[in-house]
Amino acid sequence: MSSPVTPRRFPRWVFGEGSEPDPRFTLANERTFLAWIRTALALLACGVALEAVAPPMQPQLRLAASVLLIVLGLLTPVQAWFAWSRDERAMRNGRPLSAPALMVPLAVGSAITGVLLLAALLLR
Amino acid sequence: MSDGGRRFDPGLQPERTALAWRRTGLAVAVGAIAGTRVLFPTLGVGAVVVGLLGLGLAALLVLGSTRRARRAEACLLQDGNLVSGPGGRLVAAVCVASTAIGVAALVAVVGPHL
Repeated sequence: MSSPVTPRRFPRWVFGEGSEPDPRFTLANERTFLAWIRTALALLACGVALEAVAPPMQPQLRLAASVLLIVLGLLTPVQAWFAWSRDERAMRNGRPLSAPALMVPLAVGSAITGVLLLAALLLR
Repeated sequence: MSDGGRRFDPGLQPERTALAWRRTGLAVAVGAIAGTRVLFPTLGVGAVVVGLLGLGLAALLVLGSTRRARRAEACLLQDGNLVSGPGGRLVAAVCVASTAIGVAALVAVVGPHL
């Protein structure tokens, strides 16, 4: 077995402490991160498509829904980075994992987007 | 992955992770092409620039996934863990790039209304 700490791995504040967890957990953490990134890309694509395609809806409400989707899509990569690094650190130190901080805002934001789009359809 | 028929685990974790990177890269490529098409009437050449940056990121993700998977597999076969495995550089780069795509999206949508 090699030494548990390899300072060459970036970032140091994640990999510089604790001991190497089961590699399956590290790889699963990476896949979870990528799933968040794809969620961010989907939110951004929906937000841009809504204004670019401009379906017949009340324009202000449609714009509000589009901006809300893009703001959620901007917050998601930030959350993805913090969740990935925090969880990797937690696994290295044998601490429990925490729930993603963006889960509730994302659910509430998606629900508000749905309400905005419904209103935009009814008030066109 | 094969080491005289011996595998690190039957769950093929490094392959699954490489595939996750690749489908993220393909999502970026599709988004870049669709985005160029959709934004071309309003942004003109700017839309082409954004599309090319997106395709560059997609290429980085697909090529990066192959390098990471090779390194992870070599390391797992040698040490049985990821002590000298891939770190978070590509992870950080993807976060920065996604945020940049988000800012571009916000400008594209809000810009015409200002």
